[in-house]
Amino acid sequence: MGLLTIATILFLLYRLLCTLPSRRPVVKHEKTKSFAVFLGSGGHTGEALTLVSALDFSRYCPRTYIISQGDTFSEQKAAALEASKATAVVSSCPAQYTILTIPRARRVLQPLVTVPQTALISLLSCIYHITITHSPFRGRSSFADVLILNGPGTCCMLCIAVYINKFLGLAAPRVIYIESFARVEALSLSGKLLYPFVDRFIVQWQQLAEKAKRAEFHGLLV
Amino acid sequence: MLTFVTVGTFQFDALVQTVLSSPVLRALRGRGYTDLVVQCGQSDFEFVEAVAGGDTVRLERDGVRVELWKSKASLAADFRRADLIIGHAGAGTILEVLRLGTPLIVVPNPTLLHNHQTELAAALAAHLKMSSVACVVHLFLTGLTPIHSPSDLAATVAAFDPVTLRTFPPFEGSRFRALLDAEMGF
Repeated sequence: MGLLTIATILFLLYRLLCTLPSRRPVVKHEKTKSFAVFLGSGGHTGEALTLVSALDFSRYCPRTYIISQGDTFSEQKAAALEASKATAVVSSCPAQYTILTIPRARRVLQPLVTVPQTALISLLSCIYHITITHSPFRGRSSFADVLILNGPGTCCMLCIAVYINKFLGLAAPRVIYIESFARVEALSLSGKLLYPFVDRFIVQWQQLAEKAKRAEFHGLLV
Repeated sequence: MLTFVTVGTFQFDALVQTVLSSPVLRALRGRGYTDLVVQCGQSDFEFVEAVAGGDTVRLERDGVRVELWKSKASLAADFRRADLIIGHAGAGTILEVLRLGTPLIVVPNPTLLHNHQTELAAALAAHLKMSSVACVVHLFLTGLTPIHSPSDLAATVAAFDPVTLRTFPPFEGSRFRALLDAEMGF
């Protein structure tokens, strides 16, 4: 009985160890990689779509755009970007892109006390899409090779779902967080929350990189 | 000439109310800006109900032709045809307008979480000054003072000098492309 307990604890610790972020790049060489990007509405959507607009879409396929419930503008903008890139795309990837809708963890100006409730609903939806839909039992491939996050709060729920995958030993995307260009002196709330957990943490102002040890600065990206 | 006002995705009551006040409209008219288009978002102001359903409201006030509407998926076309843009200090709005080279008056929205808009406006003002891209600096600086009365914005409109404006460095997509390609093993 004692041995079993120790073995269980050791196994759980091992799984926890497996979830730690790493700067080790992906080594598998495949023709294409898939990305998922969270479009957090307004300026967040603008920055996230500007970032992915720089990518070679023939390398990144399929693509998943995650939007918050009711955010039709982000959906339209993602469709517009896809349309503008349509000529550059290869035919090797039939399902070019999908739009995934999740409930918001926190609306703009929503009081912080009511956040746990809305965040939980949002989290369950993220777990459904990232963990359950892509579990081996459902016979699907992994959710994405890389998940690109830029805030706001709802993107933390996606990161938690990725950690559940890591803990269970399921395929999990690398997580890259790009702090908004709007953040100069201090990290945003979602930036602070995700800072220890994402694989890469990128900021767009030199003075912010100097304050946060894990943060990388590669110049203005948007 | 056309002025375009944007409040961003959500709301900025004070900005919408102020641009529709007589002092600001008269200042715009005085500089030759005879047309004004206002993207109001969810701001609370005198025509909030009229624009709520997605309708456009047109009126003439203090010699300025005014057009009011709530929002659009993309403001790119409105930015392009404007001769002057007055906006909240959202990062997206600032970058888009700076790269167009259109005169921009920034009014940080102090009601947002942690007031990061004022911080961004201040940093850009300092940054642009340092890198000798002398564009909009004085406009940003005036934008740093939250408008307490319509006369603040009216004074800025009356005083700014569009001749000194220069464009901002263009979007450099290769940085993020290189970063992600390396991460993904391409």
